[in-house]
Amino acid sequence: MSKIRKYLLVGLLMSPICVSAVSAHAQEVTIALGSEPTTLDPQLREDGGERAVNDNIYETLMARRPDGSLVPGLAAAPPKLVSPESWEVKLRDSIRFHNGEPFNADAVVFSVKRIINPEFNSEQVSFFFTIKDAKKIDDHTVRIFTEGPDPILPSRLYWMKMVPSGYANNPKFAEAPIGTGPYKFVRWNRGQDILLEVNTDYWAEKPQIKKITYRFVEEPGTRLAGLKAGEFDLVTNLLPEFTQEVPKATHVLGLEHPIIILNADAGPTKDVRVRQALNYAVDKKALAEGLYEGFAQVAQGQLLSPSFFGFNKDVGPYPYDAKKARSLLKEAGATETTVEIIGTSGRWLKDREVVEAVAAYWDDVGIKSKVRIFEFNEYLNRLFDRKTRADAIFVVSSNELLDADKSFSAYYKAGGIGSSNTDAELAGLIDKARTETNVETRASLYHQAVKRAYDQAYFVWLLNIEDIYGMSKRLDWAARVDAKMLVKEMRVIE
Amino acid sequence: MGRYLLKRMWHGVIVIFGVTLLVFVVTRLVGDPVKVMLPLEATLEQRAAFEKQLGLDRSIPLQFLDFVGDVAHLDFGDSLWQHRPAMEIVFEKLPLTIQLTIVGIGLAFFLSIPLGIIAALRPGGIVDRTTVFFSLIGFSIPQFWLGLLLIVIFAVKFHWLPTSGIGTPTHIILPAITMGLPALARLVMMVRSAMIDELNQQYVKTGYAKGIPFWRVVGVHAMRNAALPVVTLLGWEVIRAVAGYSVVVETVFAWPGIGLTAIQAIEREDLILLQSIVFTVGIMVVLINILMDMVYTIIDPRLKLQ
Repeated sequence: MSKIRKYLLVGLLMSPICVSAVSAHAQEVTIALGSEPTTLDPQLREDGGERAVNDNIYETLMARRPDGSLVPGLAAAPPKLVSPESWEVKLRDSIRFHNGEPFNADAVVFSVKRIINPEFNSEQVSFFFTIKDAKKIDDHTVRIFTEGPDPILPSRLYWMKMVPSGYANNPKFAEAPIGTGPYKFVRWNRGQDILLEVNTDYWAEKPQIKKITYRFVEEPGTRLAGLKAGEFDLVTNLLPEFTQEVPKATHVLGLEHPIIILNADAGPTKDVRVRQALNYAVDKKALAEGLYEGFAQVAQGQLLSPSFFGFNKDVGPYPYDAKKARSLLKEAGATETTVEIIGTSGRWLKDREVVEAVAAYWDDVGIKSKVRIFEFNEYLNRLFDRKTRADAIFVVSSNELLDADKSFSAYYKAGGIGSSNTDAELAGLIDKARTETNVETRASLYHQAVKRAYDQAYFVWLLNIEDIYGMSKRLDWAARVDAKMLVKEMRVIE
Repeated sequence: MGRYLLKRMWHGVIVIFGVTLLVFVVTRLVGDPVKVMLPLEATLEQRAAFEKQLGLDRSIPLQFLDFVGDVAHLDFGDSLWQHRPAMEIVFEKLPLTIQLTIVGIGLAFFLSIPLGIIAALRPGGIVDRTTVFFSLIGFSIPQFWLGLLLIVIFAVKFHWLPTSGIGTPTHIILPAITMGLPALARLVMMVRSAMIDELNQQYVKTGYAKGIPFWRVVGVHAMRNAALPVVTLLGWEVIRAVAGYSVVVETVFAWPGIGLTAIQAIEREDLILLQSIVFTVGIMVVLINILMDMVYTIIDPRLKLQ
């Protein structure tokens, strides 16, 4: 008995070593996420943890290449506009869900209707609010109807996961998902981990990695420790200052843009010269290097990354020119004026530091900046306050659809939830672009909007932040611009 | 005894209700889950619809009436964040925190008694001074830092133990030590000072004079009298562990207990889940206090008369 106990004890003490040894040779990866999914129903929540897992189990009609370009996924070809308010989608043949259910027009119609059903109450509905209905034409053709013309529909379809019409009604669906994707669900030990294994019947190229384990570690320092100890192969949201410590890191220009919204209607920032001066006054490059260790790029004078639809390549950043800022302020008679800047702390990477650095740059050219950092809820009260807009509000905008519409409707357009201007012409451009189905015309409308906002300096465009992932030595992967962690694109190298 | 217990329980009910009420008021004063949970760019209409869905569009007095009903049913409804019964989440997470507390504080308690006694036998001696020195370090170390330090040494450097998570018995070692070490330090100091007081009492000398063996004088007679403050501190440590340390320790070690869940509920402004956690932990605190009172009367029967 005592011998058995001894072996048991030795075994116990060795078990973590064995665990890391096992994961080191087989084609398995362990990924540490910041939070555990609240559900594995892919259509219900706005939940980063859920998305990270389900992106490997489920697929969408449209997909994106790592560089962000839109390509057909489960669709055989990009959706075709058949009338201003309806799109036709041809589906790929002979694809099956993991439980054998066929993927066909019925599944698509079911998936669309499920997610837009008001009773289903999906948190993702803000991505799909223009979709009215879907109809089966034949087994592999579906028509999707929109409320008014909706040129962004193909991008929206990239966000809508296709679920099996039969199994999705099963009460187990939210705990044991079934999709068409490269990985199949195995087990979810709540609080502990989620296991997936490769789908051997996958319709496209078979992934190299056979098994995935997801772990949930909220604390960045602990995620880093797990990576260094060899327990994890991939960790998300690595802090810039840790990049030197990890075995490997991959980074890519992400979806987040920190900007400062200037009040164009009242106060000292009403004068366009002051707004321009506030842009010239900030050394964006120094912010990127000083605060983000170089893991950020100077924003191109617009709330869009080069990979987004609507990006205007003829507009660039306001250069850092303190002299020009001073002379513009003098011209406007605004030297020594007080500009209040609102920010928050701990919500976004380096949020407080950015605001403080910007304020210091402003002070440098003769502004008297007044920094006010609020707790997030109180901060949101000011961001959403439609009656009295603060002179300057710091915000980080994130755009998952990679299309100008969402960010522009919220921040550029007069009356948008975080906008501080009443520019009717700008609003007109954005409204027109929203329903313009001709791709070129639409792009040109956004180009005009970008240019106009740039000339009027409605914002201080700061940076475009990079997403950084820490990786083990044996993992080979390049991060994607849309922040999806598709394991089928990863390889284990030994 | 029975009447005394009843009175204590009644006090407990008042305390729990007061604390939960405070949470209700504070969360509704400062928090708005709708703002935090939807994407920043969501429109006003989408926000209004979501508010209605959560039942937060009703007036505060109406919400309060619901709240009182919830307290009576011991059920606060579905978590706003996880969309399943909040109490279900609490009961799923609580055992893990209790497990961590029992191992961590239990270890601290059983180690503190011999260490404290040995130190007390020769106050000012080398053993005593060493114990005091390490105890001071023990309760001065910030717990999150201690946790990270242990991870770096035992998991990253030597690969002896896992860095975080649950699953095997080895997973509990580092978080339990992190939770128990500051408690051990305080308990050792308490055992030590209580024992020094007792060993200077006349009855100890009498005991020796009567020829009672050393171990009996120290271990039975003096210890029993020294136990009262130690038990008080132990109860306090258990309460602090469940309602306080668990937040830090569980966050550092990704231990999915009630402390980590509380932090997550606060971050997501999940009023319902937060209420349920505070309510449940409140009950535990009251129960532990009552339990401590009962232990007192066992250790020192004189207390029964009061």
